[in-house]
Amino acid sequence: MVNCSICGRPAVYVNRISGKAYCKKHFLEYFDKKVRRTIRKYKMFGKKEHIIVAVSGGKDSLSLLHYLHHLAERVPGWKITALLIDEGIKGYREETIKDFKRVAEQLGVEYRIAGFKEYFGHTLDEIVLMGREKKLPYQPCSYCGVFRRYLLNRVARELGGTVLATAHNLDDIVQTYVMNIINNSWDKIIRLGPVSGVSSHPKFIRRVKPFYEILEKETTLYSILNNLYPKFVECPYAPFNIRWTIRRMINELEEKYPGTKYSLLRSLLSIIEYLKKIPELSKGEVKTCMICGEPSAHEICRACIYRIELGILKPPKEVIPILENLGVRIPSGTVDQTE
Amino acid sequence: MYNGVIGLPVRIRLVDGSREWVIEDASGLEAGEALRRVGLLSEEYIIVRNGEVITPNEKLRDGDEIVLYPVVSGG
Repeated sequence: MVNCSICGRPAVYVNRISGKAYCKKHFLEYFDKKVRRTIRKYKMFGKKEHIIVAVSGGKDSLSLLHYLHHLAERVPGWKITALLIDEGIKGYREETIKDFKRVAEQLGVEYRIAGFKEYFGHTLDEIVLMGREKKLPYQPCSYCGVFRRYLLNRVARELGGTVLATAHNLDDIVQTYVMNIINNSWDKIIRLGPVSGVSSHPKFIRRVKPFYEILEKETTLYSILNNLYPKFVECPYAPFNIRWTIRRMINELEEKYPGTKYSLLRSLLSIIEYLKKIPELSKGEVKTCMICGEPSAHEICRACIYRIELGILKPPKEVIPILENLGVRIPSGTVDQTE
Repeated sequence: MYNGVIGLPVRIRLVDGSREWVIEDASGLEAGEALRRVGLLSEEYIIVRNGEVITPNEKLRDGDEIVLYPVVSGG
């Protein structure tokens, strides 16, 4: 029997780096301290905030909603609203929406569900089919990631949010780090910090990751102990993603060499500091998309580029040279000729 | 002290019921080791025995019913 290092009750968790074991009560205390320390360390929230919690209906985001809701009860200046983006993935999203509503209603948290269909006119399933028909070189997760991030920012702003909290945990972060090393994407690595969007753009909502230093195993245990663990439904597009393989490799390393994930996180935080000193990487000020007016890394945002390539958005004539310069595939007959 | 039902194998299943394994002679084996025997990483599951979460170092007993909650999820 493994017993809690603090009170001697049966343990539910062992921190393999410190060797300390925790019972249910002391695990929840350990978890709370760890998240609060992360929030404080990276100055994630001010005294007065309208926190929009991005919720997918999965265990991590339900845990974040549960955690921040209870934390906000102790902070008079905080308001919490949950936001779920419905991509329209048949057989997956309907189930996760049920779990989301169950938890949001139990907690009494206000929520908003915003759909790809509502904002873009098409579900992700339709978009993936259109992309395949047009032989576009993108994976489902590429469309989903771009459109989801676009909507999270836009709808969080429409809701009057001052900060957007996402449930990315330590595992997610180090997986993305390794994926970006493989892709040689240092411009993306520089944006993998715990707080993003500090550079001012009037339409950009600051993003924070309160679970930045929390292992996925810990967020999962938090969800089980608080009865939040959802009916296990897997996104049908997930196995198409390289993340699947990288995750398994990192988990094998962690099992053999405990502490690998924390080491990778420290490596990431160091490299971000080095990269900030390189002018062409750090200068990237946020621009405004010439088509939709949303914040963007380029003159035209990625969400508009995808929509143009899919043939569901007519580009205005004046941006054609810029699109051609960016190598965007413009389907024939979709250029907007109106002045 | 309860030592399990002697001779009964240990049953392990995923929480959604999609996979199940039966391990003979698992008594005294650590839960994490049992997972490795069936090709799983204990890093990727929370282990629940009779409704109680246990750690991977916990020793299994004959007749244990183990439910695994995946840590990794797609989505």
